[in-house]
Amino acid sequence: MSEALEKVSKVLELKEVGLSYGDHKVLEKVSFAVREGDCVVVIGGSGCGKSTVLKAMTGLLEPNGGKVMVRGRDYWASDSVERSLITKEFGVLFQGGALWSSMSLMENVSLPLKTHTALGDEEIAQIASYKLSLVGLRGFENFYPSELSGGMKKRAGLARAMALDPKVLFLDEPSAGLDPLTSRRLDDLINELKESLGITFVVITHELASIFEIADYAVFLDAETKTLIDQGTPLQLLHSSAHDQVRAFLSRGNETP
Amino acid sequence: MTNLHHTSSPKNGESKKPCIAFSGDGDAVVCRFGGKWSLNDDFRDELQQDWKSYLKRNSSFNEMSFELEESVQWDSTLVVFLSKMIGTLDASGKKIVLNDLPEGLRSLLNMSGLSPTLSKNQYANRKLYFPDLKFLFFASRFVSFWGEWVLAFSRLVCGKSKMRWYDFAEAARSSGASALPIVTLISFLTGLTMAFVGSVQLEKFNAKIYVADLVSLAMVREMGALMVAIIMAGRTGAAFAAEIGNMKLNEEIDSLRTFGISPIDFLVLPRTLALFLMTPLLTLYADVVGMLGGLAVGTQVMDFSVLHYFEQTQSALSSMWEIFSGLLKSLLFGLIIGLVGCYKGLNAGSNSASLGKAVTSAVVLSITLIVVCDAMFEIIFSYLDLR
Repeated sequence: MSEALEKVSKVLELKEVGLSYGDHKVLEKVSFAVREGDCVVVIGGSGCGKSTVLKAMTGLLEPNGGKVMVRGRDYWASDSVERSLITKEFGVLFQGGALWSSMSLMENVSLPLKTHTALGDEEIAQIASYKLSLVGLRGFENFYPSELSGGMKKRAGLARAMALDPKVLFLDEPSAGLDPLTSRRLDDLINELKESLGITFVVITHELASIFEIADYAVFLDAETKTLIDQGTPLQLLHSSAHDQVRAFLSRGNETP
Repeated sequence: MTNLHHTSSPKNGESKKPCIAFSGDGDAVVCRFGGKWSLNDDFRDELQQDWKSYLKRNSSFNEMSFELEESVQWDSTLVVFLSKMIGTLDASGKKIVLNDLPEGLRSLLNMSGLSPTLSKNQYANRKLYFPDLKFLFFASRFVSFWGEWVLAFSRLVCGKSKMRWYDFAEAARSSGASALPIVTLISFLTGLTMAFVGSVQLEKFNAKIYVADLVSLAMVREMGALMVAIIMAGRTGAAFAAEIGNMKLNEEIDSLRTFGISPIDFLVLPRTLALFLMTPLLTLYADVVGMLGGLAVGTQVMDFSVLHYFEQTQSALSSMWEIFSGLLKSLLFGLIIGLVGCYKGLNAGSNSASLGKAVTSAVVLSITLIVVCDAMFEIIFSYLDLR
């Protein structure tokens, strides 16, 4: 009984996932699980494959080895209809925002709604501008991505990722390039969404302040061995990780107290 | 040379050449560096030889320690040289003593991390591909792309497609109406040139009026379709590849996929369909303008009346098949350009250099395919007695 419950509460699980671009290995035997309602932070030095982990989790890259389990089902063993049902629950914010450049912000946010819901145009427009105001972009509905700054693009990307009220949100460096106040507000937004809507988060970030603010759980990828070397709550990792580089990373190179 | 090995180097940097000296007995050897090690001189090859020949002659020692002479001047060349030596010694299982080196040099050696195992792995990862296998891989990818396109097209026919008609209209405008000026210029000049070339030859047979036949038949059968296709490949095909390649670079394609929107439906279908429909229209237009070019030469240079030239053209084009055959070709040309451009864009790599490569190869590949297809059409037409 408890085992069954355990299974259900795991939204996502990577089992010994390996991935390579051609002959270049990017990930090797990475295993960890994301529980419902948690905010899991993926950390590690530059080039350790964090973005690749995200792509493997969201079904954009097929792993060469191992399994990606979504709610107990093997993602890559399901057929395409099932897969699109699964990914409908996901929202993804890419590193540069990845807004569709030929469309205004309004159209960017409403396209997923138009594609996947039967709502009328007016309702869609209302929802879209609500999502944009959540990230502080009220009044920018008719701007095109090229007219926005990097940070605004990122926020608009977040609004679009939230368009379909996803159960799981994947954020690739959400606060990179944002000023401290905006990035703080983003952290608050993440915590708020987690608490009020029960959204599960998988966040890639370098910002230590954010990590301790938002993360329930952190996994550390090592750039050299291309694998996961430690996982736990951020404080556990900071104080009692068996790996020097994990403690050093979380204490910004200062030795742990 | 032996001199260099077994005596210590001249004092006070009298000779500025970098040098290595080895001393000590069988088991523990001391290696001293002297002279001036500088990026601007080139003595390293020589030293490398010395080092190798020393190793060959004395392989029995178990331990080597390194030290610097007081007068030595060094920069990164020494660090690199030393780390190479350490690598070799390490690989053959000798003990290495660095304690006598200055602190700065030791930490540089540490930071450089040039351990022999790492560099070996880096090279092991690179493999050569056979070009023929790569071609097969490319062909299979293109076929599966084509299959996806057909599926997307059938979804459109069944009314289940997510294609935005606005995108289609936009692509049709930019590949159709916006191309009119360049198509006008090129096809007018093509007709004009053909008329000049033809008139010189036909004059010898006193059959100058057949210039009208020559120009009109050549335009509608071949040149109209071919010229428009080449313009479209350079203009629109390249633009498709660049546009879509850039979207791939910005992860826009990935974000479409995460929303379950097929990039084929959303990006490729409107563009290819627009080109598929616009190319025949532009070809028809180019046919007419080309004939006007011939008319200009016929009336202004050869002194035919407009009516005379027009009647001659009309009789040359007595069968509508002449025109249809050109349009039929241009339909296929349009499809080829659109598909190749979009395919190359979708498969561009993730850096800006590969984007440029994708655009170039889109143009080259589509022009090649166009000329090959054109030749095949002519062969088929002539075997079927359609010419």
